[in-house]
Amino acid sequence: MTKLLALGLLTLTACTAPAPESTDPATSETATPAESTPAETDTAGEQPSAELGGTLRVISHDSFTLSDGMLDQFQQETGVKVERIEAGDAGEMLNRLILTKQAPLADVVYGLDNSMLPRAQAEDLLTPYRSPALDSVPEEYRLDEDGLLNTVDYGVVALNYDRAAWDETGLPLPGTLDQLNDPEYASNLVIPSPATSSPGLAFLLATVNELGEEGAWAWWNEAETNGMKIVGGWSDAYYTEFTRAGGAYPLVLSYGSSPAAEVFFAEGYDPAKIPSESPTANLFIPGTTALQLEGVGILKGSENEAAARAFVDWMLSEKVQADIPTNMWVYPAVEGTKLDPVFALAEETDVAPFEAELTEDPQALIDAWVENVQRK
Amino acid sequence: MTRSSAAGLLPSSLTGWLVALPSLVFLTLMLVLPLGRTLTEGGLQLGVWGQDYFQGRLAWTLWQAGLTAGLALLVGVPLAYLLSRYRLPGGDTLLRLLLLPFVTPVLVAALGLNALLGPRGWLSDWLPFSPSDGPLLILLGNLFFNLPVMIRLSYGGFSRISPSLIGAARTLGAGGWGAALRVGLPLALPGIAAGAILTFLYSALSFGLPLILGGARYATLEVEIYTLTAYQLRLGEASALIAGQLLLTLVATWVYVGLTAQGSGTPTRVRPRATGGPLWLGLALTAVVFTLCFVPLLAVVARSLLGSAGPTLAYWQAVLSDPATLHFVGNTVRFGLLALIGATLLGGLHALGAWLARARTLDLLSLLPLMVSPVSLAVGYLLAYPRLAATLPMLLAAYTLLAYPLVTRSVLPALRALPPRTLEAAHTLGAGSLAAHRTVTLPLTLPALRGGAALSLATVLGEFGATLVLTRPEWATLSVGLYQRLGRPGDTNLGEACALATILLLLAAGTFWLLDGGKGEVT
Repeated sequence: MTKLLALGLLTLTACTAPAPESTDPATSETATPAESTPAETDTAGEQPSAELGGTLRVISHDSFTLSDGMLDQFQQETGVKVERIEAGDAGEMLNRLILTKQAPLADVVYGLDNSMLPRAQAEDLLTPYRSPALDSVPEEYRLDEDGLLNTVDYGVVALNYDRAAWDETGLPLPGTLDQLNDPEYASNLVIPSPATSSPGLAFLLATVNELGEEGAWAWWNEAETNGMKIVGGWSDAYYTEFTRAGGAYPLVLSYGSSPAAEVFFAEGYDPAKIPSESPTANLFIPGTTALQLEGVGILKGSENEAAARAFVDWMLSEKVQADIPTNMWVYPAVEGTKLDPVFALAEETDVAPFEAELTEDPQALIDAWVENVQRK
Repeated sequence: MTRSSAAGLLPSSLTGWLVALPSLVFLTLMLVLPLGRTLTEGGLQLGVWGQDYFQGRLAWTLWQAGLTAGLALLVGVPLAYLLSRYRLPGGDTLLRLLLLPFVTPVLVAALGLNALLGPRGWLSDWLPFSPSDGPLLILLGNLFFNLPVMIRLSYGGFSRISPSLIGAARTLGAGGWGAALRVGLPLALPGIAAGAILTFLYSALSFGLPLILGGARYATLEVEIYTLTAYQLRLGEASALIAGQLLLTLVATWVYVGLTAQGSGTPTRVRPRATGGPLWLGLALTAVVFTLCFVPLLAVVARSLLGSAGPTLAYWQAVLSDPATLHFVGNTVRFGLLALIGATLLGGLHALGAWLARARTLDLLSLLPLMVSPVSLAVGYLLAYPRLAATLPMLLAAYTLLAYPLVTRSVLPALRALPPRTLEAAHTLGAGSLAAHRTVTLPLTLPALRGGAALSLATVLGEFGATLVLTRPEWATLSVGLYQRLGRPGDTNLGEACALATILLLLAAGTFWLLDGGKGEVT
């Protein structure tokens, strides 16, 4: 018996012997253990920086991905060992940072957005550092001029519909927010909850921006009564409720770039033969869209501020900016960055950022939403 | 509460507490202190319990958990009885595979249930109603996860009844079902009640499932705690809910511990082949369990092989040629085994201690990790150990914490079932206490230890602890890789996520086969 058990465990470990760390392709984005000091490379990069050295702890939401080897380049150029920490989604991350203010979890943070900046400011989480590259970011996309957060990318939260499934409903597309909560439309719409997801929160802000608070609660309650479904997060909405995944709802809250991603991640995608149309499409109804600006900033109490600054600059560098779109399905903030041709399938729309007072205290809005909608 | 035993110099209750000391220290550091930090951070704002909304949440939480337990009893108990009395076709395989739902990540379960019962689901055409909205889907999801627990526990209860007892009842004129009801049921009651209470607890505390399947309307208390804690940072209100929930689970667990302490007897393994009524009922119930617990998983496997234009191997090719996949598997196995070692040691010692001390309190303490809201621990770790929050030891400790109760629950009944004379005999023949345990206790409890190990490995594979601590990309496991893919739109992401889920299920099935053989019993 015991022998059998030991044997079983042995074969288990043997079959799946962990790959040696140094040749670990899966995590080339992450630090390789500093077995030796990094080679002194004469970087022929755009911005040769001094050897900074040390360790840099980078905290981000779970969706932070770059192409393999990108972070290695940063480590080679600067001699800084990067330790990446993932802290759930952006909302959870903000709260974790607030809870650990006294003993910061990291030196630099990526992924806080415009709806979170006021709270991060009020909690005094960030140290200002304005990257020179911020000058190349259009003014309306800058999160703040002091560089508490430097905008890295932006996205538009927007409704998407499944073309084939929508045709089956035989309905014309809704054109106004007012129509959207009628029974025939609301019963076809699924959205992630404002209380537990950042696109959901963006949608809530958009409705309040359009209708005012009282009007928004009335709209939401009507929509819920008429069959709009509210689920936990984006994945739940998109992969269990949306008709593309076999759900019942042909209308889902997602991002402006999602139709392009649908094509990019379609079976047998060939970059040379991009189809003329995506199976899904955006539906930009006024009062349902929101501009999300994501930024990178230095955390107060950082133990390696020089390296943190270099990292902020690097996130806005040409290489990283060009790498971001097909990894994270957002738009690069620096003007003139080349986009992958597949992005032609994502309609761009001009969405102005919300007024500052709307995003002053999103938490209070969420609380009010919970009070007036969820708990009704 | 405690008694002194004749064997040994120390009163055995003290010995028991001493043996369990390492697990108690671990519990204090990993659960009691962090939980305390969370509760004191925001203060207990007990006023929330006065709000209709939260009372409604509590009512719904209890209602859905109670209904799940009731349905699980209805399906699970007769099937467990038949499995323990007769050889049913595929019965042993079923018992073994019943561990699979246990490791399924919640989002994967939701995908599978959706493929089965969603608007275009395989079963939906046969049903007169649409279960895709409303509480029914949550109930079915609860059953998917908990029916296996119910069946395995009741099976353990029934298989401890000597068939000669049932035989005697039949000789005295009781019919087959009469004997089962009048003799079998009362004797197996501890196991059955244990299954029902555990099902109730798991369903009452479930959070991923109602969050994903139910939407805001069907939020359980745990979902509210999660939202208030992780997103709204309203720790005072959350703490009041956490404390209330803990009180509730304590009561249920106290009852449970009392019930399971009575179980004893030796399992029997000689069973006749089923024929006639038992055979047909057994097959019908097996079909129900198969539909609820395995068809959703098969749907996920099928999805990994079905593209938009028919069958395809593209998703598998992509996953198998991706170097990251091997890394995910490596991490999953590595963390799983490390946590398994910790859980086996701590869980085994805790069980031994609880058995020696015969202390209900000690027994109850081993269940604490299953009773505490994970998100409240996550906050507690950040507050108590901010410097360790993103370290590997912390991650492994969190996994161990969630896995070790299952080892204790498996080993305890086996210890209690030890023939009391055997140890004394070993002593008489000159074996010291330790030697007696090594030569008598260990071999006799080994099958149970293996069963517990399989279950605890399942918790790690199923990634219940991922939300407890901060992680790093280099620690990504299979389920992390799977969730990453489900965070982006597009067919290939869904297909590859389903392929990864299939790998996870195969890995789990393989380890259960090696560790447990389907015979393990848990209480």
